[in-house]
Amino acid sequence: MSETTTSRLAPWRRSAAGSVGLYSYFVRLAFLKFLAYRLRYYTGVVSYTIFVTGHYYIYSALFASAVADSPDGLVGGLTLPEMITYVAVSWIGRSFYFNNIARELSRQIQEGEIAVLLIKPFHVQTVMMFEAIGESGFRLLMFTLPIMVVIVPLFRIQGPPEPMLYLWTFVSFCLALVIYSQFNFLLGCLAFGMKNIQGVMRAKMVSMDFLTGVVVPFTFFPLWFQHLMDWLPFQYVSYIPVTIYLGKHQGPDLARVLLVQLAWSVALFVAGRFVWQRSVRNVIVQGG
Amino acid sequence: MSEALLQVRGLTRDYRLIKKREGVSGGLIDLVRPRRELLRAVDDVSFEIPAGEMVGYIGANGAGKSTTLKMLTGILTPTSGEVTVGGLVPWRERVQYTRHIGAVFGQRTQLWWDLAVVESFRLLQKIYEVDEQTYQRQMGIFDDLLDIGDYLHQPVRKLSLGQRMRCDLAAALLHRPRVLFLDEPTIGLDVVAKENVRQFLREIRERDGVTIILTTHDIGDIEQLCRRVIIIDKGRVHFDGELEDLRRRVGQKVRLTVDLRDTATSAELAATTGDLPVRWTSGEGRRHQAEFNRSEVPGAEVIKRLVNGAHVLDLSLAEQPIEEVVRDIYRQQGRPTP
Ligand SMILES: Nc1ncnc2c1ncn2[C@@H]1O[C@H](COP(=O)(O)OP(=O)(O)O)[C@@H](O)[C@H]1O
Ligand SMILES: [Mg+2]
Repeated sequence: MSETTTSRLAPWRRSAAGSVGLYSYFVRLAFLKFLAYRLRYYTGVVSYTIFVTGHYYIYSALFASAVADSPDGLVGGLTLPEMITYVAVSWIGRSFYFNNIARELSRQIQEGEIAVLLIKPFHVQTVMMFEAIGESGFRLLMFTLPIMVVIVPLFRIQGPPEPMLYLWTFVSFCLALVIYSQFNFLLGCLAFGMKNIQGVMRAKMVSMDFLTGVVVPFTFFPLWFQHLMDWLPFQYVSYIPVTIYLGKHQGPDLARVLLVQLAWSVALFVAGRFVWQRSVRNVIVQGG
Repeated sequence: MSEALLQVRGLTRDYRLIKKREGVSGGLIDLVRPRRELLRAVDDVSFEIPAGEMVGYIGANGAGKSTTLKMLTGILTPTSGEVTVGGLVPWRERVQYTRHIGAVFGQRTQLWWDLAVVESFRLLQKIYEVDEQTYQRQMGIFDDLLDIGDYLHQPVRKLSLGQRMRCDLAAALLHRPRVLFLDEPTIGLDVVAKENVRQFLREIRERDGVTIILTTHDIGDIEQLCRRVIIIDKGRVHFDGELEDLRRRVGQKVRLTVDLRDTATSAELAATTGDLPVRWTSGEGRRHQAEFNRSEVPGAEVIKRLVNGAHVLDLSLAEQPIEEVVRDIYRQQGRPTP
């Protein structure tokens, strides 16, 4: 029987080389897509610089008044130069790992656009993961690097205590990208079950930078809060990579936090796969 | 004869609706105890489609066409019933299955909005693992039949609806799928663009033997493309068979238009056809219209009586448009389908 008259569909699996080709193409496409909108990011450089400048003056004032009560010159466990470095590195990191998967995915679900992804032979979650990588690749070149060029000399940001920590900080921010995008993916999946997800998105926008430690280092918070955060993935998005940079994790402790970060990345990916498959089974794609 | 490529048995899908109560107090009660209701959008639908056939799945708005298609493409799980396409269950083996199908959902594009059209095709090549030779050959065919070569390098958002639909059709067929699902492929297109799409579908079916299922409420699509039609209304199949059979089933209604030399009333004309089953539907002065059924009375007989009884200048006979055929089918609800 010829291929077109048999009533069976031939079994098919994408080859390993095919997978590499496909997913790297998604990285490329995401990169190109954001490149088309690169002008937007020039204003981003200005606003990030303003954020960091604002924090610089706030913390300088805070330290000036608080240091009198603190004989070792530490506030929240950090010296003033460390504090400024914390702020700068956390915003530089954020310029790299940030993405809008949750908003994008929930929009696609609610407008029914998800249908065109579901009729394609790939895993939507994996595709979105690689798109996020492409986006971050773009951000690294067109956003993170320009910000560093401005901020590092402007506030005389110090390097880490050891040069190797540059590498580990970068590795840690890459894992942060996985955690951040997978958390966003899970959040986006909520749109399958909720009619109105805008509220959730707004709550996320407000609380995310706070929970990850971008706004204020955790050491400023009460102990019970810090213990609570130990059980959640958020601090691995920003607080941990930044404290790695500051040299707060040495030797086995460094290995430990990186492994926990890796574990969270895997766990959130698996959770995403599970939630996605369950939701798709119950999916109601909107619109004709 | 091997088994049909596409088999649908007892396919049913309910949507859960929240029914709103009236007024403020009703709204408050809704918050606490929403009144849920089930809407059966697709109701016990069964059919088989052999490989290579082109079938029109037709019905009015809200009849359940898109819902059926979503289940056939695997993006919606049915409430009950079975579908197998080439031995695969669409919603269960989604990744495997979607390799073999193509789909276009009306106005919803599957091309990447911000990118040049050709980037989307290159991506689809990777998604379906289409080798370079097949890719070039398919693109050649698409350029021949659809003229998409001219705007391959434009971003999708700059294309007109007709251009985009052509690209979308090509995109759905790049990987030479076995089955093509089209949900309202000509909706919103102008006459020329519609004709392009229909021509393309005819050619691609002959060339590749692809099985095509298209929903539409454009009768032109059906008349020009499909020998077989499935009519669905309120989720149920009302007719499944050849277009010709459909005409026969509702009878072969014919519309007769006459132009007279002198003015006459409908009653005067009705007198000329006398006891024949002819219905004079409208007209005054010199132009009149009548309807009769060829299966009940031969056209020649009607015309002979008419010409004998009145001074006829001109006359024409027209087949009943398929829209009305479908409407008649809807009216015959309750009668079992053959
Ligand atoms: N997501 C949904 N939720 C609730 N009801 C729906 C949904 N989608 C479709 N329906 C209802 O199901 C019926 C069939 O819809 P559909 O399959 O889109 O019809 P068609 O494509 O023939 O116009 C309609 O009454 C429609 O209102
Ligand atoms: Mg529809």
